[in-house]
Amino acid sequence: MNLYLPIAEMSANIFVFLGMGAAVGFLSGMFGVGGGFLMTPLLIFSGIQPAVAVGTEAAQIVASSVSGAIAQYQRRNVDVKMGVVLLSGGIVGSVIGVQLVKVLRELGQFELFVSLSYVTFLGIIGTLMMIESLNTMRKAAAGKSVSMRRPGQHSWIHGLPLKMRFHRSKLYISAIPPLLIGAFVGMLGAIMGVGGGFIMVPAMIYLLRVPTNVVVGTSLFQILFVTSVTTILHATQNHTVDIVLAMLLMIGGVIGAQFGAVAGEKLKGEQLRFLLAGLVLLVCLRIGWNLVVEPSELYSLSGLVGGH
Amino acid sequence: MADRKKLNDATPAAQPSPNGAGVRDRVVQTTRTVATTVRRALPELSPADMGSLLRKRNLQFGFGVALVVILIAIFRFTGDTKPVPPQPAVPTAPAAPAVVAAPKEPVVEAPHIVPRLPGETAPAAPLTASPTVPAAGSEAVEADVSTRSVAITSNFSGTEIVVFGAVDGSRQNSPEAGLYDVVVILEGTHTPIISRRKSNVAGLWINTQSVRFASLPSYYTISATRPLEEIAEPAVLNQHGIGFEHVRLIPAGWMAHGLTADELKSHREAIIRLKQKDGLYIRRDYGTVFIGRSLFRTQIALPANVPVGPLDARVFLFREGRMLSTFTTKVNLQREGIEAFLHAFAFEYSLLYGIFCVVIAVAAGLAASALFKRGAH
Repeated sequence: MNLYLPIAEMSANIFVFLGMGAAVGFLSGMFGVGGGFLMTPLLIFSGIQPAVAVGTEAAQIVASSVSGAIAQYQRRNVDVKMGVVLLSGGIVGSVIGVQLVKVLRELGQFELFVSLSYVTFLGIIGTLMMIESLNTMRKAAAGKSVSMRRPGQHSWIHGLPLKMRFHRSKLYISAIPPLLIGAFVGMLGAIMGVGGGFIMVPAMIYLLRVPTNVVVGTSLFQILFVTSVTTILHATQNHTVDIVLAMLLMIGGVIGAQFGAVAGEKLKGEQLRFLLAGLVLLVCLRIGWNLVVEPSELYSLSGLVGGH
Repeated sequence: MADRKKLNDATPAAQPSPNGAGVRDRVVQTTRTVATTVRRALPELSPADMGSLLRKRNLQFGFGVALVVILIAIFRFTGDTKPVPPQPAVPTAPAAPAVVAAPKEPVVEAPHIVPRLPGETAPAAPLTASPTVPAAGSEAVEADVSTRSVAITSNFSGTEIVVFGAVDGSRQNSPEAGLYDVVVILEGTHTPIISRRKSNVAGLWINTQSVRFASLPSYYTISATRPLEEIAEPAVLNQHGIGFEHVRLIPAGWMAHGLTADELKSHREAIIRLKQKDGLYIRRDYGTVFIGRSLFRTQIALPANVPVGPLDARVFLFREGRMLSTFTTKVNLQREGIEAFLHAFAFEYSLLYGIFCVVIAVAAGLAASALFKRGAH
């Protein structure tokens, strides 16, 4: 069954996108990641314009993070103050990112930039996650328990001014690092069509030393608001949010995510994290392959941006 | 659309069409069976069942399925990003009489009209001084289209338009005489377009060269009674912009500087090639057929990805390499219903549209968590 997508201007099979939404939704619910880093490349591979994929994916991330954010909030796993600080940085980053998308599209280098960003970040995150999960698995086999947090360590971050007290996270740190992290993730999210959880979560754990129990909730909280802003910005600046496509992805995604969330609670972590890392690296290699191998068609066409 | 479905139901496996439509049909069949099963099972489902669904084994299975789907998605869409299978350029009109009821005559096999006496044809060697001035003969062409207005709605998946017409004062004795040549062009609005070329920079394939062309038809189908080269001289075709090679394709001013003629030429060829690959530029050498002494018709496919905008149908009448007459008519191609609404909403009230998208997204997320909370916990 085909449906005509009004902004992407193509006829698409409903079930392909529903299925893609459900599969990515399941994984994202399971690992507590937004799933944007899988969904956006998949959309691009399936023939959707990169800019439309990025804009539409922002809307879908809103949908997939809403229920998670609310659930975490009810379980009191959100550090609202930290979230607001991250969020203020995130909005600034998002504004910059959307402008950057506009400029890069005019220059015809948007696809390249998206690909390079994906290869870089998926490569780093995938490798780190792979190493971490392998280490955990080895240590678990050796019978040791591992904790992610190493409290009591001080770094240069603690020497910065503008200190704030974050009660929920039991932290007393400068507001500058969270602001910068928020801005960076917001900008990346706008360009790559991701929520940025896969950068936000490690950054909060390793750089800010936020306790792991509030990390997921707080990052979801800030992702929800930043992607909302990003969606609106993409819609106004680039006209690249396809609501029909977004709704298909949402329907598949939210259903998949519900099952995935329960699965994440019930299933063992390390092996699955290992698999996710493998998947991330695979997507990374696939995008990198397209950049390196001589394409069968060297030419490409595009209309003028906004020329409707 | 409805026709096609009926056709599939009648002969599900008997059409291994060249575009891989056979595979598609099978997928459609499967999904339909699944859909009916789900529809039957749904009323019997209670929220408690949802909870029992989430057992460890099922979840592991679900995880496996999700991985497989994603792996397939990553490697299936390797590079082929064409949204529609290209129209096979068969000379005969495909049998789809239900779509258009315009001329009821049986479709004439095109090859009938091909053979001509060699002496007669001699594709208009340097004939007369001014080949474009309509000849003294009183022949004129008149034409119309089967559908004046095509609506793009949410289930638009391409359509077909029949262009038919008559040669006024035809002197040909039979449809097969081949005295006249008719060229029908259906073209979309002219828009500027940018062509980019990748080249290898430090191991990466990067867009390095771009040419902006001021005006290019977004869609262009040419359907003629014979290959164009046999109908008229390139100069004549060029003058009227008939044929892919003769479409006016001028680089916009300063954008072309620094390019050699060869590079410009390969950009031009690439544009035509890419447009053909997308199914937007179609050439059918024997697509137009005479079905009477003066009556001719042709069937033109509008693919699902046809750019929205008015289309011009231009009909050219040739005899012995000289253009006798032309006729132009219009086809309106516009969004209708929810498509029109959403597009206008997105482009004219983009801020509201953005907020609307966010509201929809939030509502979808909330609805899902409300729906599943009862079952899961």
